Amino acid sequence: MRKKLDINGKGKNLLTVMIIICIGLILVTLTTSAVAGPVRDFTGYLVAPFQNGVNNIGKWLTDQFSGFEDVKELARENAELRQEIAELTQKNNELVQNQTELARLEALYALDKKYSDFNKMAASVISKDPGNWYSTFVINKGSSDGIKVDMNVLGQGGLIGIVTEVGANWAQVRSIIDDESNISGMASSTSEPCVVTGNLLGMDSGKIDFKGLRDDDNAVTEGTSIVTSNISDKYLTGLLIGYVSEIHLDSNNLTKSGTIIPAADFRSLREVLVVTDLKQKKEN
Amino acid sequence: MKRKLVIAAVLWISFILQTSVFPMLDFLAAVPDVMLFLTVSIAFMQGRNEGILTGFICGLLTDLFYGDIFGFQALLYVIAGYFCGSFSQIYFDEDVKMPLLLVTVCDFVKNFIIYVSRFLLRGRLDFPGYLKGVIFPEAVSTILITLLFYRLVYRINHSLVEKEKKGRQSLWIRD
Repeated sequence: MRKKLDINGKGKNLLTVMIIICIGLILVTLTTSAVAGPVRDFTGYLVAPFQNGVNNIGKWLTDQFSGFEDVKELARENAELRQEIAELTQKNNELVQNQTELARLEALYALDKKYSDFNKMAASVISKDPGNWYSTFVINKGSSDGIKVDMNVLGQGGLIGIVTEVGANWAQVRSIIDDESNISGMASSTSEPCVVTGNLLGMDSGKIDFKGLRDDDNAVTEGTSIVTSNISDKYLTGLLIGYVSEIHLDSNNLTKSGTIIPAADFRSLREVLVVTDLKQKKEN
Repeated sequence: MKRKLVIAAVLWISFILQTSVFPMLDFLAAVPDVMLFLTVSIAFMQGRNEGILTGFICGLLTDLFYGDIFGFQALLYVIAGYFCGSFSQIYFDEDVKMPLLLVTVCDFVKNFIIYVSRFLLRGRLDFPGYLKGVIFPEAVSTILITLLFYRLVYRINHSLVEKEKKGRQSLWIRD
């Protein structure tokens, strides 16, 4: 089994050079932000179109398979959906009434920032982080479509994440369940601010954390919705993050922390909406 | 030259599969690190220099699209390539046992370094939780990939190396 061992092998010099290059790159990215722009664009053309293609094949395959679903299952689902339609129509009627009231009140307060006011652009998810530590994904729209860094990403009725890097034909989105994601949120009922952080270990149970919430009147309970706060400098105000699932008093007896169930389902992300308005612009 | 092009194509296809197909497979508890598997296999078959270069390319691809610190993954993969390349002169490369061991060791060490540098330093102290939830599942799925695909990579590489050798010999004969 043994061959001659080459202790002073040629690899050493190359290793040193490569390590120096890598550390150099790390230092450069830590100090400046624009380092890999051209390289990113170039490799983007090599990779993103193919990821897009593979993704489309995958979608086609899933559609084919889903065609075989049991007829009984579909009939049952149909019945359920009919019932849901009835309920939703009822709810919708109520909401329409509320809407008129809201419009009246908003006109009163001259509030012009509404959910539906945002300009949105649809994009599909073409690939995910290859490792298991982070929850970032890549979408098939980039700077050539007008996507910019720090744009908010919505989907499935809630906040999904934020654009962190942009190439010519792709953009990287960090989802709110990512462990390094920190969002300034607030309880919709009390408007008290809190910090919403992703949690890798809570991901399996589909929960993220929040902390630092002042709630002296115990107004925040399970099911209270948490939205992005008005003091966040990157997230637009009032985007739904999720609903409080557990809440408990911190050991400092002042603030509360707990977990949130995000409004969006991150397991089956395919299509997302990128809000093309930036927070800063709105303020200007 | 031809061999290098083929290896580059293999790396490129694997990267696309790794990012767009493997994360969608729900039966895998964690996404296997195919790029690490390739780095380790090629380093083990071809030695330090190629291991280092393969690792650099693999890591850089990952960094380009997904990392926020450019060069971090590349550094880890370069060291893995160097480490595994050191064994190429000691052991024969037909057998899957040695690369299997190397992949396991490299995957654990890589994830441990990521945990310490990116999670522990932010105050995430639950190491057993991360070990159980992330590191171990990834190691298992990467080992699975190695078991299934090492022979394939070995055959591709081996046939190309043979061709290269033949090409050199015939040159000698012609001269």
